[in-house]
Amino acid sequence: MFSKRRIEYTYISTRLHIVGLESRNATPYSASQLTGLPKVSPVKRYSSCLFILPLLVSVSFAEEPDAVGLKFFETKIRPALLEHCADCHGVDEQESELRLDTPAHLMAGGQSGPVAIPGKPGRSLLVSAIRYKDENLQMPPDEKLPASVIADLVKWIEMGAPMPKSEMIAKKTRIPFDLDKAREHWSFQVPQRPALPAGDDVSNPIDKLVFAKLKEKGLTPAAPVSKRTLLRRTYLDLIGLPPTPEQIQAFLSDESPDAFSKVVDELLESPHYGERWGRHWLDIARYADSNGLDENVAHGNAWRYRDYVIAAFNSDKPFDQFIREQLAGDLLDGDEKAKHERLIATGFLSLGPKVLAEVDETKMEMDIIDEQIDTTGRVFLSLTFGCARCHDHKFDPIRADDYYALAGIFKSTTTMESFKKIAIWNENIIASPEQLKEKEKHDGQVTALETEIAALTKQEADAKKVTKPVETTTKVDATGEKKTEVTTEEPETPAETSEAQPTVAEQLKTLKANLKELKTKAPELPSAMGVTEAKPTDVPIHVRGSHLSLGRDVSRGMPLVLCIDEPELQAPGESGRLELANWLASPTHPLTSRVWVNRVWRWHFGTGLVSTTDNFGILGLKPTHPKLLDWLAVEFVENGWSTKELHRLILLSKTYQMSSAFNEKNAAIDLENQYHWRTKQLRMEAEVFRDSLLAVSGQLDTTMGGSMLHVKNREFIFNHTSKDETNYDSNRRSIYLPVIRNNLYDGFSLFDYTDASVSNSNRDTSTVAPQALYALNSDVVLTAAEQLAKQLQTDAPDDTSQRIRSLFEKAYGRLPTPQETATISHYITQLIPTVENELSAWTVVCQTILISNEFIYVQ
Amino acid sequence: MVETAQEDFMTHLSNEYRPSRRCMLQSSAVGFGHLALAALLQRDSVAAGKALPQPPQHFTPRAKRVIFLFMKGGPSHMDTFDYKPKLQEDDGKELPFDKPRVQFAPTGKLLGSPWKFKQYGESGLHVSELFPHVAQRIDDLCVLNSVHGTNAAHGGALLKLHTGSDAFVRPSMGAWVNYGLGSENENLPGFLTICPTLAHGGVKNWGSAFLPAACQGVPLGVASKPSLEAHVKYIKNQKWSKDLQRSQIDLLNSMNRQHLERSGPESALDARIQSFELAFKMQTEMPIVQDLSQETEATKSLYGLDNTITEDFGRQCLMARRFSERGVRFIQVTHSDSLVQWDQHGNLREGHSKNALEVDKPIAGLLTDLKQRGLLDETLVLWGGEFGRTPTAQGKNGRDHNPEGFTMWMAGGGVKPGIRYGATDDYGYYSVENKMHIHDLHATLLALLGLEHERLTYRYAGRDFRLTDVAGHVHEEIFA
Repeated sequence: MFSKRRIEYTYISTRLHIVGLESRNATPYSASQLTGLPKVSPVKRYSSCLFILPLLVSVSFAEEPDAVGLKFFETKIRPALLEHCADCHGVDEQESELRLDTPAHLMAGGQSGPVAIPGKPGRSLLVSAIRYKDENLQMPPDEKLPASVIADLVKWIEMGAPMPKSEMIAKKTRIPFDLDKAREHWSFQVPQRPALPAGDDVSNPIDKLVFAKLKEKGLTPAAPVSKRTLLRRTYLDLIGLPPTPEQIQAFLSDESPDAFSKVVDELLESPHYGERWGRHWLDIARYADSNGLDENVAHGNAWRYRDYVIAAFNSDKPFDQFIREQLAGDLLDGDEKAKHERLIATGFLSLGPKVLAEVDETKMEMDIIDEQIDTTGRVFLSLTFGCARCHDHKFDPIRADDYYALAGIFKSTTTMESFKKIAIWNENIIASPEQLKEKEKHDGQVTALETEIAALTKQEADAKKVTKPVETTTKVDATGEKKTEVTTEEPETPAETSEAQPTVAEQLKTLKANLKELKTKAPELPSAMGVTEAKPTDVPIHVRGSHLSLGRDVSRGMPLVLCIDEPELQAPGESGRLELANWLASPTHPLTSRVWVNRVWRWHFGTGLVSTTDNFGILGLKPTHPKLLDWLAVEFVENGWSTKELHRLILLSKTYQMSSAFNEKNAAIDLENQYHWRTKQLRMEAEVFRDSLLAVSGQLDTTMGGSMLHVKNREFIFNHTSKDETNYDSNRRSIYLPVIRNNLYDGFSLFDYTDASVSNSNRDTSTVAPQALYALNSDVVLTAAEQLAKQLQTDAPDDTSQRIRSLFEKAYGRLPTPQETATISHYITQLIPTVENELSAWTVVCQTILISNEFIYVQ
Repeated sequence: MVETAQEDFMTHLSNEYRPSRRCMLQSSAVGFGHLALAALLQRDSVAAGKALPQPPQHFTPRAKRVIFLFMKGGPSHMDTFDYKPKLQEDDGKELPFDKPRVQFAPTGKLLGSPWKFKQYGESGLHVSELFPHVAQRIDDLCVLNSVHGTNAAHGGALLKLHTGSDAFVRPSMGAWVNYGLGSENENLPGFLTICPTLAHGGVKNWGSAFLPAACQGVPLGVASKPSLEAHVKYIKNQKWSKDLQRSQIDLLNSMNRQHLERSGPESALDARIQSFELAFKMQTEMPIVQDLSQETEATKSLYGLDNTITEDFGRQCLMARRFSERGVRFIQVTHSDSLVQWDQHGNLREGHSKNALEVDKPIAGLLTDLKQRGLLDETLVLWGGEFGRTPTAQGKNGRDHNPEGFTMWMAGGGVKPGIRYGATDDYGYYSVENKMHIHDLHATLLALLGLEHERLTYRYAGRDFRLTDVAGHVHEEIFA
């Protein structure tokens, strides 16, 4: 797979080890150790370097510098470096992986890239450090160098940093780790379809692999779950709503062998499926309807992205296409509808929280790019790229170079329209031709009217021989729309003159009023948060992540360790987003399909096959079922990246249909149920809990799509004040409630909803007392209980047992036991005399059921 | 060295990558008696309801808890606790050195303080006439004149001060403290924030980010509403009487127990059963703590509750004392309202006079009261805003944001009383002596609580996170 480049890099990494340049080991090899030479002083060490040099094939050598330059280097620079720098950046110690004792090392630079950029002292880190320019990078740390030495070093760099050619290893790629070894990490290898275990006891490949593992570990699979429990589990899992008693009845009475399969198909076809599984995607896309962070303004058009995601899941958009659209939708062809959809999809890159009032605009831009890199890395690769902003990743083989190679791609992308505080994110117009035409027509009318006014104003002014300025300005209003405005100043006309020319003044007054009126009727073109291409540009390494200390440029491209082909862009004349998207969506990408099938598994079962679903790096956990993960990943891609097919495979397995029954013997071996001997009971997520409360109490409004924000795009949800502009008073499904960063809806934040600022595919399940307070005292729960109680009264006007039966079936999907019926009847009988009316008593009972463990934990 | 690293690594492993411990964390962190991880591990041996094990401090704590008096908007240091005679002298002249590379807004010439300074107490420290009452407590104060941050905008600066990061979502300092030490009271949260501002970071400023949810701050009210209405959300049922609710919880418990029996042992289910009991206890306890009628008239007056100007903030301070008495670990009290309180880009005199008048007496009252109850020694009081203000004028009579150097102060909790520490330049623009970055402030605050900032870590997404990121220096010089 890696054939061509592997050979090349094997060579390079071998070379690195020989020279002992940038080993990340605690005890780096020194050249002397490897070459068997005795340890030598820095000065003598040149000879050992020279000794190795002939072994190396040149990569790209600089021109041999002139004699004057070389002499300057030998007399001024080399001695100074050895005297002042080599103690910490030499043979024995390599602070920041930097050595300054040889030309080769000087060329190579350290963790932060090269230190001397020939001809550019202003951009050379060395100069910045010795001049004590940056508080964080002052070298030597104890005392500034003598002024003459500083001047020499600056002069030398101005001269083009001449050094003996023979001692320079011009190294294009800095690899601070053993690339081949790094590529051996399990998740960096392309998944291969494993052979399935022999035996006919189970036919579904998932079962074959899971059951084989159970056997191997001495575990017994739990028995199949009852039909009722299976149905409730599947409904909540696939559409996030419990089955109604009628749906239960229909399933129970269907005795055909494919009864369950029919249910699965039906649910996958339900529009509620996209509302449930689209929400999972929104978790990892850190979707929100407001910016959060410092300036919490409304993402007034984010809902279009949310609706796009729901539709993508409902239509089972192939996952590779889904990736391409979100990262590079603006660069894909298609008819008008598809084009708009794809522009909306790029909202993915733009939804992150931004420090919109950051005064340092360059910092803001780099922070936004950082957020995009980190999110993209986490979402598609489950790797944490953010760490490499300041230095090579401490654990994963991700170099700062890889980070800035990606940074270049996003820097070549327009995410922001303006960085002036308060900054404005870019939105793409997604108007239909009719809307555009209408807008054009309107603009024409405005211009005509303005021209007329201008002419009349001039006429009037001329008549009075008073010159007043008439300005036409284009400015951007709060909605980000460009508008042309004519600013005129009312002529300061004395009363008698205006009497003298009543018609013009009156005419003007009318026209201006018309203009004002016309402008209020301006058709607003629909737009969506999203990106477009910018001027392609590479980004230099930012030393310690700071845009104030720049290192060498890095060519845009993909992370080296994951590259099968060239890591650099094939088409450097473009931003590289499309290439990035295509690279991620490649069928042989080692991570993309694995990461996704693992997440789907996580959302079905509560734990991923790799339990660290957002970290497939060195510190992530290994898969409990590596073969199963690979089998699913390969199958998924071969099924046309169909997520719905993946659901079918999983749901129709015996593994999915196991009961959650406890088994002491199994628990002794595998308490955590890592090997899946039973189905874990999962607490409903925040949205499922709320939606289920609304559904069982008959209150759910199933209207789909659209915005529920009640503030305009880019308006403050919280400005300097603490006035709460949020409003969650609705019975729509939870996915449509505004996601307000920094002030999430209580019903969400209390129940471990995603933070909405950071990608997260593995929500926690915390149990804290404020949740209980919410269950006991919130209006949402109390209202649901009362509505449910009313329903019970209607369902069974005079029959307590019948009411209890109906209550259990609606809420739990099962019938009550005689003992349960007796307990509750008794409670009700005792309660009624103490409360206002019968409804109150039933409300108490309904609330108890709705907040009970059996309701909120899915078996 | 290697051993410590290994040990730390194991601790990190435990929080995210060891399922068994993670589950324990989940099930044990049910209520407000959330304890730090190591303590949780001991918890099994502690019978329910008994005294909680001691939290695992890294070294001897000087303070048990924190009360953070947050002055939103950025109070001016040159007009309060950082006396600058040279600024008075050079009023109207140019600043004789460069302004920072990045400024929030353009400012003009030097602007002398409209307020007079006087020396107070045995320490003889200068305080402006804005804080006559706090000035009387000056011998208890450890005035930090050299604090500096990195962000010149409110949002970034608030987040930096509260979470250590102005660009990323990180746990708040209260959440870290709560994670490290937990609550001393099983029925109350370990971290409360009274009348917090929802602007400029909002919930993030008391959130737990990736730390366990139980570490987050519990808000009482919001800044835009009077503190009289500051309650924990959902603390009261509007429909059912207490007795009815008790009977309901009994029914709930019996159903949950039956369900648990059918399910087999499941710590999460068990934890949820307990959470209702805890909620019920908190429901009972909270109104008692918040019932200020139990205080004497003398105490109420001490906090300025008898005056309409000081009443609102006084109530917050008095609640803070009552919570601290009951073992709440971190209590934040915010002075803000629907305006940006301390943000005088113009009309410095009017704005700061009004603000100071509202808080001066209550703060002094809190210090006096804590001291007379013997609580000040173990309670660290921290005062300050997200940044200071420029010595140069914005417009005619205002001051711009200045994160380059400003003043916060501490009192009690193991800090040297009656000293000033660090200094800004002659005019108060830059921190120049014993510079204390926000990261240093955090490191120092944790150290006072017995926590080493470099070891209070949490592994998340492949990385160990700290309140102090990769920075932070403990200023031991201020330790008593």
